[in-house]
Amino acid sequence: MSVLVRLLRGIWSLMLGLGVTLKNLFRRPVTQTYPHQKPELSAAFRSAIALVNFPASGSHDCVACMQCVNICPSFCIKVEGDKPEGLKRKRATVFEVDYALCSLCGLCIDVCPTNTLKYSKTYDDVGYRRDQFVYDLLTPFRAGEAAWRERARVAAVEAAQPASAGPAAAAGEPEVGR
Amino acid sequence: MTLHVLWPNTALMTVLAGAVLMAYVAFNGMLLVWLERKVSARFQRRLGPTEVGWAGLLQSAADVIKLLAKQLITPRHVDRPLYHLAPVLVFVPVLAGISLFPFDRHLQLHDFNIGLVLLFALAGLGFLGIFMAGWGSNNKYALLGAMRAVAQNIAYEIPLILATLPVVLLARTMSLREVVEAQHQLWFIVQQPVAFAIYFIAAVAETNRAPFDIPEAESELVAGFHTEYSGMRFAFFFLAEYTNMTIVCMIAATLFLGGYIGPSWLPVPGWVWFFGKVYLLLLVMMWLRWTFPRLRFDQLMSFAWGVLIPLAIVNLLLTAVAIKVWR
Amino acid sequence: MAEIWGEPAPQPLAGNGDDTYYLNMGPQHPSMHGVLRLLLHLRGEEILEAEPVIGYAHRAHEKMAENRNYLMFLPNSSRVDYLSGMIYNLAYCQAMERLLGIEVPERAEHIRVIVSELNRISSHLLWFGTFLLDLGGVTPFLYAFDDREEILTILERVTGSRLTYSYGRFGGVTQDVDALFVEQTLAFVARLRGRMPDYHALVSDNVIFRHRCEGVGLIDQATALRYGVTGPCLRACGVPYDLRRAEPYGIYSRFDFEVPTQPAGDIFARYLVRLAEMEQSCRIIEQAVAALPAGPIMPEKQKKRFKPEVGESYFAVESARGHFGIYIVSDGSELPLRLKLRTPSFANLSAVAAVLKGTMIADTVAILGSVDVVLPEVDR
Repeated sequence: MSVLVRLLRGIWSLMLGLGVTLKNLFRRPVTQTYPHQKPELSAAFRSAIALVNFPASGSHDCVACMQCVNICPSFCIKVEGDKPEGLKRKRATVFEVDYALCSLCGLCIDVCPTNTLKYSKTYDDVGYRRDQFVYDLLTPFRAGEAAWRERARVAAVEAAQPASAGPAAAAGEPEVGR
Repeated sequence: MTLHVLWPNTALMTVLAGAVLMAYVAFNGMLLVWLERKVSARFQRRLGPTEVGWAGLLQSAADVIKLLAKQLITPRHVDRPLYHLAPVLVFVPVLAGISLFPFDRHLQLHDFNIGLVLLFALAGLGFLGIFMAGWGSNNKYALLGAMRAVAQNIAYEIPLILATLPVVLLARTMSLREVVEAQHQLWFIVQQPVAFAIYFIAAVAETNRAPFDIPEAESELVAGFHTEYSGMRFAFFFLAEYTNMTIVCMIAATLFLGGYIGPSWLPVPGWVWFFGKVYLLLLVMMWLRWTFPRLRFDQLMSFAWGVLIPLAIVNLLLTAVAIKVWR
Repeated sequence: MAEIWGEPAPQPLAGNGDDTYYLNMGPQHPSMHGVLRLLLHLRGEEILEAEPVIGYAHRAHEKMAENRNYLMFLPNSSRVDYLSGMIYNLAYCQAMERLLGIEVPERAEHIRVIVSELNRISSHLLWFGTFLLDLGGVTPFLYAFDDREEILTILERVTGSRLTYSYGRFGGVTQDVDALFVEQTLAFVARLRGRMPDYHALVSDNVIFRHRCEGVGLIDQATALRYGVTGPCLRACGVPYDLRRAEPYGIYSRFDFEVPTQPAGDIFARYLVRLAEMEQSCRIIEQAVAALPAGPIMPEKQKKRFKPEVGESYFAVESARGHFGIYIVSDGSELPLRLKLRTPSFANLSAVAAVLKGTMIADTVAILGSVDVVLPEVDR
């Protein structure tokens, strides 16, 4: 008798399982049809780093301090800088990130003294070669670079003359609160 | 009483009927693959194929094109004749098997008086192909899968046949057509619910479907007996599996669910009833597959020998006694 | 057969004279959970001897730690065990805080508990799914992933990442949580509780599942203790050892939760323990959310460079798989002299090898799945 009871109990347990799947058969699918439906990215979403475009100066504010290069655990950042004419601070001339190596830890963003690093929001970069993932972060700023340097030089010259009481750091040194 | 309307009395008719059946088998395979993917997706709250054609209907066609275009890889260490013959040998019996059914009252190739025996004989032949594939692949996973398949086939063919015998006793015939004709008053599932349950469980096992899919248990044996097959050869195994599913469901529909017979007051042709029942049973098989985990090999065996076969024998004996007493 | 057709017969594989044979399961195999290789000595389907071969995912985390400063090891910490990256990441932070003597603000402590427990649930859900996948049940896997997706979405919104979080910093966490996070977390807890009856009906009570699990893969208490098994596997042998209770770290001593145990030590016991743990994690989350204070998430004074005094620190946490310990030796420089990771999966896997003998291939897969090994964590 106990065999029969066990058999029936077993069959009942299988029926319960079938009930669960049947219930889910009539519920809405949860799939996101990716290329048609793009995901909503959170504000904190981490992707390859990018340089912030400060509206006050119309450019980034990388001073080539090398802190991000030094802290990067993946050694994927390459920065070079020069000293623009008339300015005390350095200015990045090369800022490359090898995204294929980046582990998205965010340490570079933490250490940046001028807060000019941020996460970009691209998530669908593809490529056939590794070198396609070496991003030149200065690309969006190249066109305006000469103009920026000129503005910065003028501002520096003006600041050096005690007579002119204009806003000194209007172009060269944007106000950045940490 | 037998009306052989489609009896292929000319060579042309035979060829034509064969071509139609092959087309049906191919179409049915594609349809079932699509259905399986769609149904399993909905059970799991996914969407399934959506991109190719409306609701992904052409996905299977695209897959067939892909499989046809694929290189046929023959691993170096295989036993070539066995390896090459196996997909054919798996596929031919199911093609032969599907030609035996009465799809409608006047839609049958030929009604053999031992149709049922022939069907099971053909089903047994298919496993020869599976074992050839496993042995010929010269791969341990494939061999294990083939061993499991053969053991499982032997164990589950017995309850499968034992469960159909009460129906034969009730209908007093082994001709598929006459079995259907005997169900005009009452479908045999009403008289033989236990036999139907045993038959259906054994049929799921016979077709290597989850929860009895141990010959190709992907988490244990990678892909079982067809581990070394790719491209169109793999597609033949796949097609044979789905056609096998259709066949066992057709047997169930014929023996237990009245075949092409439906309520007579409904103006629906018989073949619609027949295929309706078949595809309903196929959906149930998919439902089972996407709900349950897999049994272990020894549990599968002890379930067949310890539960299904005794139950089937008792059921057969009771049926025999009942027929003797009441007729 | 081939000879008849005039072809050379295929060479039989080199045998060992009897009817036993060797089977290489892995490193590429659907159910080897990464890159474990099991060298099985078989007779038919019965396993005579099983030898796990590891090292395929060795990435030299410990050596890497010696070659970069303390902060630079942060992203590594969540990659040791990618399934409980948050717990490991915070464990490393806590180990460093102990070494540096940094006080963590209350709010950060609470956030750490919440995200750790969310991470634990997500790890257990993934285990639940993949374990069922090993047993051949595909549907529970997708249900579990659906639930896990919720956690990942919640954590992604706060940490910006879905798997390898790098969320902790020495002294706190990187991002503050908001009201929406609290709301989502509580909604998830309610949702998970609502799903549990389904999981039990679909899996726990299922007769096939029971047959596959009950009495299979027994790890008795003595074996477990001898091999240093920890986590749910140890608790399934009836030992109520949970670091959150045995040596409370962080603020775990403040929360009211149980340490679920099962006496049997078989696969089913491990399964039940993990399911019960998810519920306990939910309870901890609820309490932590209720007690979440306002305040800073990092200490007032933040340092950019860390140079601990000469000394050493060992910090152990209860990860989703068991006792995870970090041992750091400092020589006073910016780089650790030595960093040792004690990972639970390694010990648990050793015990598995001991119990595989005499089982069948199908059981191997089930046992391995039930122990929940993460191979990158074994190899490190």
